[in-house]
Amino acid sequence: MQTAVERAFQLIVTGNAELVNILLVTARMSLCSSVIALIIGVPLGLLLGSARFKGRGVLLVINRTLMGMPPVVCGLLFYMLFSGVGPFGRFKLLFTVQLMVLAQVVLITPLVIGNMETYVSDISQTVRENARGLGLGRFKRFLLLANESVYQIFSAYLLAFARAIAEVGAVSMVGGAIAWKTNVMTTAIMQYTNRGDFSLGIALGIILLSVSLIVNVVISLLQRRLSR
Amino acid sequence: MKISAFKKSYEGKWVLDFPGFELKDGNICAVIGSNGSGKSTIAKVLAGIVKADNRRLPVPNDISVGYMPQKSFAFRLSTISNIRLSGGSEEEALVLMKRLQIDHLARKRAKKMSGGETARMALARLLIRPYDLLILDEPTASMDIESTALTEEVVSEYCRNTGCTVLWVTHSLQQARRVAQQAIFMRNGCLCEAGEAEKLLFNPDKTETREFLEFYGI
Repeated sequence: MQTAVERAFQLIVTGNAELVNILLVTARMSLCSSVIALIIGVPLGLLLGSARFKGRGVLLVINRTLMGMPPVVCGLLFYMLFSGVGPFGRFKLLFTVQLMVLAQVVLITPLVIGNMETYVSDISQTVRENARGLGLGRFKRFLLLANESVYQIFSAYLLAFARAIAEVGAVSMVGGAIAWKTNVMTTAIMQYTNRGDFSLGIALGIILLSVSLIVNVVISLLQRRLSR
Repeated sequence: MKISAFKKSYEGKWVLDFPGFELKDGNICAVIGSNGSGKSTIAKVLAGIVKADNRRLPVPNDISVGYMPQKSFAFRLSTISNIRLSGGSEEEALVLMKRLQIDHLARKRAKKMSGGETARMALARLLIRPYDLLILDEPTASMDIESTALTEEVVSEYCRNTGCTVLWVTHSLQQARRVAQQAIFMRNGCLCEAGEAEKLLFNPDKTETREFLEFYGI
């Protein structure tokens, strides 16, 4: 076991080509999916948190259900839609990073929406009353609300990124964990462990934990800033 | 300025029945009454924050209305940027801040201010431009005696200089006596008595108003 750990550190330090490729694919997928989820989720979260309209309650329930969607179910859904016999099979996206990104967007956008909605619900009435009292228009009120939520937006992004980078169920189903192509950190850990090759798995595990640690430290700092 | 009659209910539960009232231009009208009597609801409906049951604004459509909510809020900007949100030059903002004794906080983050300072900043944010009707919902609730006196002075001055009519919701009968020329007494969601402040606050017609004044030691 000690040898495997030593080898893992050696792989990290020497910059093993396969390890670097896995990291690059993971970074590409996680960054793309979390940024897209942020672009879609933040305005929707702001809207759901601040506006009161018919059907809002239904949308909130749908979003909360999607927040708890099991990744394998999401993976299965995309697999069926994009497999050769599926309705979108002609796009030939199965086992590509693009489809992994798409599946992750569906998984993590509800988290961003839910995160923003909870925060904005708390402050929106006060912001609205104060801004309307000044005679400010709808657009300016929306900008002020977004400005009030800026740390929360960062926090929601980091949560989305952390979920994306650690997700395994959906990406393994739609990506297929193809070496040098769609293999990401989580799928590679599973693959190498199944093969009995622990060192690369441990190396990836160390990196994944370090990323998670960094993300959580930044989130705590942001939350401290928010509570001040 | 005529305020039309309106009613307000929340989720089918009736909370306010306002029969209408004529505000004299350039006057301050104090709205007094116990907790839950409907004072803040009047302010919110007139400011357009909540809609009356008939969905109509009870004040004329062509007038400008400024509103300071009970809970003053500092936006995540500098104090001076907060004050200039609805217009006004930097010089005008600084003059107003100096008058309200918060000029030393101009470049500071507004979120860092105390409750009383935030309330003065929120007031400055409104007074930087002229309004036809200004609605203040307990603007001095978080202020000390000194800031309260200053606020009363500044608002009265603003009224005289701009001809703005002010609706001032307050819990303090002494404050109502100091600032108002007109007064409205609200009780259990209904207008109990309204008229000249001098009369209503010193020698009211209605027994309920008299009892309320006596209860508060006046």
